[in-house]
Amino acid sequence: MLIDADAMLGRYPRRDVGEGTVTETLARMDRFGIAEAVVSHTLSWLHDPHTGNLRLLDLIEGEPRLRPCWVLLPDTCGETGTPAEFVSAAKAAGVGAVRAYPADHGYDLAGRDAASMLHALAEAELPLLFDAPQVGWPAIESIARTHPELSVVVGGLGYRTLRQAAGVLSRTANVHLGLANLSSHCGLEWLVERYGPHRVVFGTGAPVRDPAESVTRLLWSELDDQAVAAIGAGNLRSLLREEARVA
Amino acid sequence: MNALTSAVWKREPQSALRIVDAHAHAGPYSLFFIPDAGRGGLMRVMDRCGVSHAVISSHLAIQLDAAEGNAQTAEIVGQAPDRFTGYLTVNPWQDPVGELDKWGNDPRFGGVKLHPDLHDYPLTGRRYAPVWEFAQRTGCPVLTHTYDGSPYNDLPMVDEVAARHPGVVILAGHAGATPLGFDAAIEVAQRRPGVVLEVCGSFNTGADIATMVREVGADRVVYGSDFPFIDLRMSLGRVIFSGLPEEDRAAVLGGTMTRLLQWRSGLG
Repeated sequence: MLIDADAMLGRYPRRDVGEGTVTETLARMDRFGIAEAVVSHTLSWLHDPHTGNLRLLDLIEGEPRLRPCWVLLPDTCGETGTPAEFVSAAKAAGVGAVRAYPADHGYDLAGRDAASMLHALAEAELPLLFDAPQVGWPAIESIARTHPELSVVVGGLGYRTLRQAAGVLSRTANVHLGLANLSSHCGLEWLVERYGPHRVVFGTGAPVRDPAESVTRLLWSELDDQAVAAIGAGNLRSLLREEARVA
Repeated sequence: MNALTSAVWKREPQSALRIVDAHAHAGPYSLFFIPDAGRGGLMRVMDRCGVSHAVISSHLAIQLDAAEGNAQTAEIVGQAPDRFTGYLTVNPWQDPVGELDKWGNDPRFGGVKLHPDLHDYPLTGRRYAPVWEFAQRTGCPVLTHTYDGSPYNDLPMVDEVAARHPGVVILAGHAGATPLGFDAAIEVAQRRPGVVLEVCGSFNTGADIATMVREVGADRVVYGSDFPFIDLRMSLGRVIFSGLPEEDRAAVLGGTMTRLLQWRSGLG
C-alpha cells in the first residue's frame, strides 16, 4: 500500500498540471496505485493560507482517501489565529499534518515568530512538512533540536543535498525525509542503510512532480519488502498517529 | 497494466524491452555526494530495473579533465562493453582535435558529448568546429547539454548549429530542462530533422514526454537518466508510466538510441 504524504489540490500557475480537482487527484492516485493521500491546497500556498485551509476542508469532505494538510503561518499578524486556536481547529477538522512555506510566505520558521506555533504542533502531535529549499539545513536542524517532540518531514531534496541532509539526520531523531524528488543515485538505499527505513516517508509532490518518479524509485529500489512497506505507508501512519485502516 | 508497469508493481526487473539509457555518467563529482558512483553501482541499478545498456561520459571528463576523463570512460566501457558505450567528451578548451584524433576510431565510443554550460563556451563557438566535421563525416551522434535561458546552450543555439550542420544528429540533452525549454526544444526539433530530444532532468514529466513524442515522433525522442547524477529510476519511471502506446514507448526507451549507435557499422 502507498500513502502519499506530499500531494496538492488546486490550480498551479507556473505550468500545465491540470485543474487540481478532487476527481483528477483520485484518478491520478488510482493510476499509480496510491491508496490514500495527505493533501494541501495551492490556495494556502500561493494566495492565502486561511482561505485555502478552509477551502480544502470543503473540497475533501466525505472523501475518505484524502486527509487534509493545513498550511501554517506565525501568529504575528493573527492571520490564522493563535497557535492554540489554529491547532485546535486543525484537530477538530481531522487535519493530519501541517505544511510550512517560510520562504514563500516571508518569515523565519526557526525564529521566535514561529516558535509558539511549532510548540503547539508538537504538543498536538501534528507532524510538520516542508521542502528543504524553503528552510535550509541549519534552520532545519535548529527547529528539530529546539522542538524534539515535533516530527518533521523534509521534502524536495533533489540530488545535490545529501551531505547536508546526512549531517542533520545524524544529529537529530525527529527529522524524516520525504521521497518526492529524493533523487540522488542510490540515495534512498544509502539513507536507509545508514539511518533505517523509518526516516523516509513516501510522497509524490503531485501534481507538480510526476508520481511515476517516487513510485518507480521506491518499488524498484534494492530495499526489502518490509522496508518498502514502511516507507510506502507505515511510517506516515505512525507520524499521523493512526493505525492501518481496513482496506 | 502492461509488462513494464507490471514489473514495477511486482518489484521485478523488466525483461520486455531492450532499454538503452542515452544520457549517463560515472564517478564522483565535487559539488555533491553520490553514493556508489562507480561501474558496479551503475550496473546494479541497471540490473535491478532491467536496463540493458547505458551511454556514459565520466564526470571527470565533463567536469575537470577531458583527456584523463575520456580514458576513464574508455576503461569502464572496456570492462563491460555489452553494458556501456562511451561518449567522447570534447572540452573546447582542452585540445578538441587531439581528443578526436585519439579516440575517434575507438569502438568503445559511440557518440560525442558537449557540455557548454560546464565549460563556459557557447555551443555555436568555432572551437567546436572539429566536432561538427567529425560528426558530419562519420554519422556519430553528438549529445549536448541544453538548458532554457543558458548563455551557452539555450535552444536557439541548438537551432543555429543544427541549421549549419543539417547532416549531423544532435541529441538535445535534457530537451531544454524546464517547461519553457521543452516547448522551445520541440519547436527546434520540428524545424531541424537532425535534432533528437533526450528527456532526463529534474523537471520533466511523463506528460511532457508524451507531448514531445506527439509533436516530433517517437523516432526523435530518447530516454536518458543522467545517472549517477540523478537516480536512473526517476526518468525511467516517467517514461514507463507516460501512457505512450507500447510501440512508441519501446522506441523512446531503446529502439531509437540503438539505431543511432549503429553509425560505426556503416563506416568504410
